[in-house]
Amino acid sequence: MRRTVAARLFAKHLAPDDIVVCGLGSTRRAWSEVGAPQLTYNASDPMGMGPALALGLALARPDRRIVLLEGDGDLAMNLGALVTIAGAAPTNLRLAVFINDRYETGGGQPLPNAGNISYVMVAAGAGWPWTGEAHDESQADRLVPALLERPGLGLLALHVDAEPSPYPADPGPTSQAEDKVAFQRRLDRAS
Amino acid sequence: MVRRAVRVSEPGAENAERIVSALVAAKVEIATSLPDSWLAPLIARIAAEPKIRHVRVTREDDGVGICAGASLGGKRAVLVCQNAGVLLSANVLAGYAHHHQLPFLVLAVYRGSYEDRFHYQMYKGLVTEPVLDGLRIPYHVVDDVGDASIVGDAVREADLGRKPVVLLFRRAALLGDVTKAS
Repeated sequence: MRRTVAARLFAKHLAPDDIVVCGLGSTRRAWSEVGAPQLTYNASDPMGMGPALALGLALARPDRRIVLLEGDGDLAMNLGALVTIAGAAPTNLRLAVFINDRYETGGGQPLPNAGNISYVMVAAGAGWPWTGEAHDESQADRLVPALLERPGLGLLALHVDAEPSPYPADPGPTSQAEDKVAFQRRLDRAS
Repeated sequence: MVRRAVRVSEPGAENAERIVSALVAAKVEIATSLPDSWLAPLIARIAAEPKIRHVRVTREDDGVGICAGASLGGKRAVLVCQNAGVLLSANVLAGYAHHHQLPFLVLAVYRGSYEDRFHYQMYKGLVTEPVLDGLRIPYHVVDDVGDASIVGDAVREADLGRKPVVLLFRRAALLGDVTKAS
């Protein structure tokens, strides 16, 4: 499954008022390429902080569903976050981890123990009440809505193809701080 | 036999009450924590405070990330930890201070100085302030909690500066005038 196919499934099933948090790297790029209208915050650097940032946002905004689209490199950096999130148990947070077993943006280097890590087992062992794993598009098409429609916390692991994802030639016209302000303005307007 | 309830005033309970009251007055609604023995009364008081959502973390930098996410969502938040957690979180604090520009409070116990009794804490006292200086993160050392007004002042400073502010609490500021080390 190509990563943009997985991202497109979220665009298809998300509600208009869902908020997306993207980890850094190729997952962010896939979500950006889909061009979905949902309010999105790119967690950017610091690497490894996507889950914590999404948890904080979910706690601050219990009126909104927060969906974290995360890469396996970012998640593997800080697996303890799965324990913290399970302990906090926010009912409005969902996590989808795109697994390609590589640090794609860094040049495609393999993750430690690449191909042998089960994020659903790690999450289940950490106390997550629901996990799912999709190895292809048909499984993902069934499990993405299952993740979103369930009443509480859940983690979905999606296996995606390894595809080059080099650094963009242009970092874009706005700074992270300016993106933050734009995100907060849109969030305030919707309140 | 009738048991009498004996009310024991634990060291630090009064200071914890002042600090939490100041957090509530400053509209801090989310607190993350990782324990230190000097922080025990404060964390227990935070956990009992109905106006604050308390999240226990496995690493202090997760607490920083949660505070940043809360700030992104429009809520005030605090991380309560040892200064070892500040050192661990150096990259994350710098990222949220200077890249994202998200304000929140870090309330850290200042281990490794004249009040300490443990050799393994001492290096933290040596490097904490130089590291914060290097990160260009504002911080203040709190020797005496007083009325805890420093808490509200630091929250306002964070908001105005759009970056985290660290309060380094001495043992006496947390536990009061106690001599038994732990």
